[in-house]
Amino acid sequence: MEKMKMMLVDDEERFLSTTEKLLSKKGFSVVTAQSGADALEMLERSLIHVVILDVKMPGMDGIETLREIKRRHPLTEVIMLTGHATVESAVDGLKSGASDYLMKPADLDDVVAKAEEAFDRRRRLEEKIRLAQSKRFMKSPREILKGAEGEA
Amino acid sequence: MKASHYERMRRIILISMILVPFIPFFIILSIGYFAFTSSLESSTLATMRRIVSDHRQMIAGFLGERRADLTFIAETHAFEYLRQPDNLHFVFKNLQRQSGAFVDIGIFDESGLHLAYQGPFLLAGKRYDQEEWFKEVMKTGYYISDIFMGFRNAPHFIIAVVRREQDRQWIIRATIDPYTFSDIVRQVRVGKTGEAYIVSAGGLFQTERRSGGGLMRKDPDYLRYGPPHEGIRTYVRADAAGETYVYATTWLKDGKWMLVVRQEKADAFAALRSAGYRIFLIMVVGGCAIIAAAFYMTGWIIRRMKRVDTEKDRLEEQLIRAHRLAELGEMSAGFAHEINNPLQIVRSEQALIEMNLSDLKLPEDGPEMKEIRDSLNQIKLQLNRCAGITQAILKFGRKTDAKAEDVDLRKFLPEVVAMVAKKAEVHGIDLTHRIDGATAPVKGDSGQLQQVMLNLLNNAMDAILAAHGPQGGILKVEAGPWRDDRVEIRVIDNGCGISPENQARIFSPFFTTKPVGQGTGLGLSICYGIIGNMGGVMEIKSKEGDGATAIVRLPASRAARAA
Repeated sequence: MEKMKMMLVDDEERFLSTTEKLLSKKGFSVVTAQSGADALEMLERSLIHVVILDVKMPGMDGIETLREIKRRHPLTEVIMLTGHATVESAVDGLKSGASDYLMKPADLDDVVAKAEEAFDRRRRLEEKIRLAQSKRFMKSPREILKGAEGEA
Repeated sequence: MKASHYERMRRIILISMILVPFIPFFIILSIGYFAFTSSLESSTLATMRRIVSDHRQMIAGFLGERRADLTFIAETHAFEYLRQPDNLHFVFKNLQRQSGAFVDIGIFDESGLHLAYQGPFLLAGKRYDQEEWFKEVMKTGYYISDIFMGFRNAPHFIIAVVRREQDRQWIIRATIDPYTFSDIVRQVRVGKTGEAYIVSAGGLFQTERRSGGGLMRKDPDYLRYGPPHEGIRTYVRADAAGETYVYATTWLKDGKWMLVVRQEKADAFAALRSAGYRIFLIMVVGGCAIIAAAFYMTGWIIRRMKRVDTEKDRLEEQLIRAHRLAELGEMSAGFAHEINNPLQIVRSEQALIEMNLSDLKLPEDGPEMKEIRDSLNQIKLQLNRCAGITQAILKFGRKTDAKAEDVDLRKFLPEVVAMVAKKAEVHGIDLTHRIDGATAPVKGDSGQLQQVMLNLLNNAMDAILAAHGPQGGILKVEAGPWRDDRVEIRVIDNGCGISPENQARIFSPFFTTKPVGQGTGLGLSICYGIIGNMGGVMEIKSKEGDGATAIVRLPASRAARAA
């Protein structure tokens, strides 16, 4: 089975390093990025399943980054991490394609649970895609045959 | 400062309220007074003028008649007949029947010899050719003298006429009793002090003056009358005794006599004085009325002003408080947001420590280990507490576009009350609600409104528990229309109440009377913000120890009002 690869995006360096350590100890594969631009660059280079993205960052903010990620890598799951206890920023994120949101300060177990949930969803999605593709693949010789009969 | 401001205001209003009506009032009265005065004066003078004119006519008539009497005798009787004393006596008796003013009669020849005389004196045989009157009568044909003493040494005046025949001239002369004449003139009465008299060109009284002045006495006022003039003159002048008189004068007898009619000014213008008194009285009474009205109105205006100012101050204070609350809300939201990031890091660090500790595989039952575990748990607990606070703050400070829907309080409020019914029952609180059937729907977010109502109900129940313990609590929820276009919701409890100093701060964020850790002090601030956003107001009325009433007033939904 494929192993979940996560990416943490936040402007707080210490938060990134500590959380990375924690998640690694729990056995997850984690990379970090300190800005939206870094995150996008890293997504180009390596496969990442779940992104945990802070809403409020200097430069490119969370919502912007989210939209860009979703545009370039639609299958990537994004969980928004918001400092606002308000539903609005979360709603904004969900509308822009985030799969879930967490409120700061979030418990690590919650982060893990949400990430796994998202990863599952992604896996199911990939499964469906694969299935659809294989069906089409299986269907096509018959269709070719049909076409040949019709011509004959 | 404030008091002196009102005092100055009061003075300005008072002065203008007195002066503005008083000036026209005064002007009208003055104009009326002067118009009345001048009309009265001119009518008084006209009366005097008429009296003088009538009197002159009468005097001229009297003298003319007497002269005509003599002329008639001279024309109808022969000189020889008249010079006989018996005949003259007979004629004189006839004459006296005509007019009692005749004292005597005499006949003179052209040389001035007194030929015949009929009367009380012995004058026959005297010569008069050097007498002034004789010369005059010979020249002009008739003569009326001033009053003089003559040979008889008693005041009298004479009328003489000349009969001219072809060959001779003779004179008939009669003496007029000056007292009879005087009575004719004196009979004029005007008012109390009005009098008439005649003064000769030489300034001697020709008739007696009622206010003093015998015949032939020098008139002390003579020089004041001025030179002879045509027609009638009227004037006001003080006499020698200092009394002011209204005079009307005219000259008689070709400028030899002057007829004077005079009246004391005070008497002549008595009506004027009484009118003056009346106007003065009106002025005093009207002035008092104006001043009283001005005082009353000013008091009323100042009271109104004070009330409006107080109201204004109260509104301003409310506005400032709302503004400060909004600022505080924004500030604390930003603050809470910033705090969340470090909190997140602390939480991660705490988790990392815990994980590392487990990895060390130290014996868990040592006392040090227990203490470390305990500390870590405490850190986690306090972190959660911090998170709770920041989240409450963010809720308070946020600006939301709340859903605007019509909330029917008649359904909504009982639902909310039902939510806390269980809790109330447990604490022995008698929870009732009474919603007026005419209560209009309000526009707002039902979730937020529910939050407000629950907050108020919970606060009330806490207050009740603090005051009464588990029994005897009463909690009422009431709602009804308020002033046409508003709806009022009241939450009334009989709890411990709120002290005045706490009432002033009750909506301030972080203000709480609850023990540490049991309340953030944000509940009512949030409620206040929600109600404010809905266009309503919220206030809490309470007497310490005597329960509290939370009042929420919301605008009725416009759609509902139109329906």
